Amino acid sequence: MILYTPLSETDIFPTDEQTLVKRQCMTHQGKMCFVEQKGDGSYEMLQLLSTDPNDFLNGDFQPGTIIK
Amino acid sequence: MTNDTPNKNDDKQDTQQGGSSLVQKIQQLGQANVAQAPDSNIHVLSIIGQVEGHVQLPPQNKTTKYEHLLPQLIAIEQNPKIEGLIILLNTVGGDVEAGLALSEMIASISKPTVSIVLGGGHSIGVPIAVASDYSYIAPTATMTIHPIRLTGLVIGVPQTFEYLDKMQDRVIDFVVSHSHIKEDKFKELMFAKGNLTRDIGTNVVGKDAVEYGLIDGIGGVKEAMQKVNELISQTGGQGEGVIQ
Repeated sequence: MILYTPLSETDIFPTDEQTLVKRQCMTHQGKMCFVEQKGDGSYEMLQLLSTDPNDFLNGDFQPGTIIK
Repeated sequence: MTNDTPNKNDDKQDTQQGGSSLVQKIQQLGQANVAQAPDSNIHVLSIIGQVEGHVQLPPQNKTTKYEHLLPQLIAIEQNPKIEGLIILLNTVGGDVEAGLALSEMIASISKPTVSIVLGGGHSIGVPIAVASDYSYIAPTATMTIHPIRLTGLVIGVPQTFEYLDKMQDRVIDFVVSHSHIKEDKFKELMFAKGNLTRDIGTNVVGKDAVEYGLIDGIGGVKEAMQKVNELISQTGGQGEGVIQ
């Protein structure tokens, strides 16, 4: 499909509200994390919000890690 | 026999769980373990994707949320163990007021700050890049300088244009006062025709950004680390002072 419009793609095809609702910020082991809630109630790590470079070397905060 | 069976099953489950976390790590990172390093006195703030403002962007966008970064900047200012800050930029731009808020916060930090523009530092990435004490740009990185735009509902009155014009001046004033570029030169780049396809503005590549005085130097991680350590030694390392 080719669209010819000055509008952005998301104005024409709005994104599902549910995906935004599932994503949230939470504190895990004292660090701020951006997570997505999975169907079974656990959380999947999307992004670690930290300025300490060493936090990014911590295996518990790698993106994709499941937090129970 | 009957007693042995549940134990065997338990062992099997344990190894399966251990194995699955390893598989998970390999799937996410392509490696089983990540290297460990000693504590760092230099912190890193990465500004990636779009700078998100008051409107939450759809989930497929990679965004930097200012409400996440502002408390981190305060924490960096307050923590005596942190002596310097490196800002990594690879952004396409975004919300003007969120970007200016970040720029003002970075500019007003008392600790040495060094920024590196990596792939691109476009639009509102320009004031964020120049907000630091010293700025670097990778030789292949680019910065698009162009007039600000407005999306969404616009009321078609002359006041709207005036408001936009004032917002434009805020960006120009910030860049001119925090870098070595002359106002006339910056405006010339911003309103240039024929550089961008069907658009007004200029795409400035690494070396040119330094020539125009917008960015202080060409470099990457090594140069930025050297610079931030040099700036820390000039200020006398505040962290040590507090401990004594």
